[in-house]
Amino acid sequence: MASVPSRAALLQLYSNTLRTSKSFSSYNFRNYFIRRTRDTFKSIQNEQDPDKLTRFYDEASKELEVLRRAALINGMYGGQKLVVEREGAVRLRGDT
Amino acid sequence: MLSRSISRQVVRNHIRCVASTSVEFRRSFVSPSSTDRASVTDVGPAVVRQIQEDMFAPRADMLGFKLDVQPQAKNSSDLKARPIYLDMQATTPLDPRVLDAMLPYYTDMYGNPHSRTHAYGWEAEKAVDEARQYVADLIGADQKDIVFTSGATESNNMAIKGVARFHKEKKRHIITTQTEHKCVLDSCRKLSEEGFDVTYLPVQPNGVISLHELEAAIRPDTCLVSIMAVNNETGVIQPLKEIGAIVRKHRGVYFHTDAAQAVGKINIDVDAMNIDLMSISGHKIYGPKGVGAAYVRRRPRVRLEPIINGGGQERGLRSGTLPSTLVIGLGEACRIAKHEMARDHAHVSALADRLIKGISAKVDHVVRNGDPNGYPGCVNLSFAYVEGESLLMALKEVALSSGSACTSASLEPSYVLRALGAAEDMAHSSLRFGMGRFTTEAEIDFVTEKIVATVNRLRDMSPLWEMVQEGIDISSIDWSQH
Repeated sequence: MASVPSRAALLQLYSNTLRTSKSFSSYNFRNYFIRRTRDTFKSIQNEQDPDKLTRFYDEASKELEVLRRAALINGMYGGQKLVVEREGAVRLRGDT
Repeated sequence: MLSRSISRQVVRNHIRCVASTSVEFRRSFVSPSSTDRASVTDVGPAVVRQIQEDMFAPRADMLGFKLDVQPQAKNSSDLKARPIYLDMQATTPLDPRVLDAMLPYYTDMYGNPHSRTHAYGWEAEKAVDEARQYVADLIGADQKDIVFTSGATESNNMAIKGVARFHKEKKRHIITTQTEHKCVLDSCRKLSEEGFDVTYLPVQPNGVISLHELEAAIRPDTCLVSIMAVNNETGVIQPLKEIGAIVRKHRGVYFHTDAAQAVGKINIDVDAMNIDLMSISGHKIYGPKGVGAAYVRRRPRVRLEPIINGGGQERGLRSGTLPSTLVIGLGEACRIAKHEMARDHAHVSALADRLIKGISAKVDHVVRNGDPNGYPGCVNLSFAYVEGESLLMALKEVALSSGSACTSASLEPSYVLRALGAAEDMAHSSLRFGMGRFTTEAEIDFVTEKIVATVNRLRDMSPLWEMVQEGIDISSIDWSQH
């Protein structure tokens, strides 16, 4: 059995996953994976059971690989801005 | 010092003025010249055609290639932004994780899963079996009960026509509901042409069927009850467990449910709900389009006549080589759906709450169609005194639908809403908001703001709305006076 992941290793994995999530070009995917990464890592924040921690670490590492590839592909084909992302959107006067 | 700051202020004001006039041609210091003083010469159609040919026609050295500039996604602020997608009942985006699972099978692992003689076939078969297991796990079935098809429409056709035609010697009656998807209704219409009796159960005003009416409709020669799990237009969830219990009491009657909108979104257990046949769609659960599955119970065995005959793949129920890549995508989508169902449901519920509260706080006379305890990812609202199609036209920045995508080309009011007992004008003014895993709160806030502004603007233009404000009861007016 693999050794129990240290706190530092988990934090490293967390920051890597979050960084990868932020690298998605498409607004919806990016926001979903950021939200999901925060959620899942928060849910094991106070976990003490070494078995669960090991399983979580293995799964999350595998997912990080998937996300890395997915973010690359997404960057190649996706990423056109959505209307909610538009900065300084054209605003019509209120009295029209 | 003072003068400089004033002059800067003036310049800034001037720029702001220019910017606002470029957007809005309201009123400015320059008045347009009147038409009689303007020197406009009519060039005639010949000149216009010449200009068009010069400007747009492909030149000889283009070798027949069309002048078609692809928009570059990156660094293009002038490009039109994409609208917000709120039509998750029509289709959902492919999850990037699903695409990642599929890509190896689009490159090196292209084997035919039915090839038993070499490694290419074996690896594809192994992956297909894994996918079958994931689909079965999501609905509490055995993996041997899953038959892959091209989508929920094919599954529905296969189940309804298959069961009816197999038992046609003894049984000639089918029960379904008025709010089913078109492919179920059309399969039933086809069967009624072949001589079967079809009962279309009405629904209550909240969209749920009455269990007493169902029980009363079952006859000794009934072979199939087909009732959808989650309605695609209203999100109404039918009481599958109770229906399953009623159908199970009658020997020889099978229960089919169209769960295209339900699988992966609400809990479905084929054993607990006594479901004999079920239809699953890939592209409604963040999987690829062009693939679906049918659950066909083996114990007790449901026998049906296949529509597609051939090499005997999929227990002989659906011949033809499996699209292994799509099947693997469907499997991965199901695996993710099982894992994420609770989180997705909580997220979608919060979004639906936010949307309904946001809209009803600022707009009056909004009616929610269907049972409020339905699937929260599908919210069907009717805005009284506003025409749904004109609302859609005005909402260019939001991708919405007034009903099913299959009928979105017609201007007829939705038959589902009519079956719920909605008046014609309310059925005409409905919008369906479909939220999903990838929808964000910022999008919902944006859409709420747009809807509120557009509905109020359209109502301000509407004479009907003016009459309502004056306290005239619209329904009491006799419109045809001459």
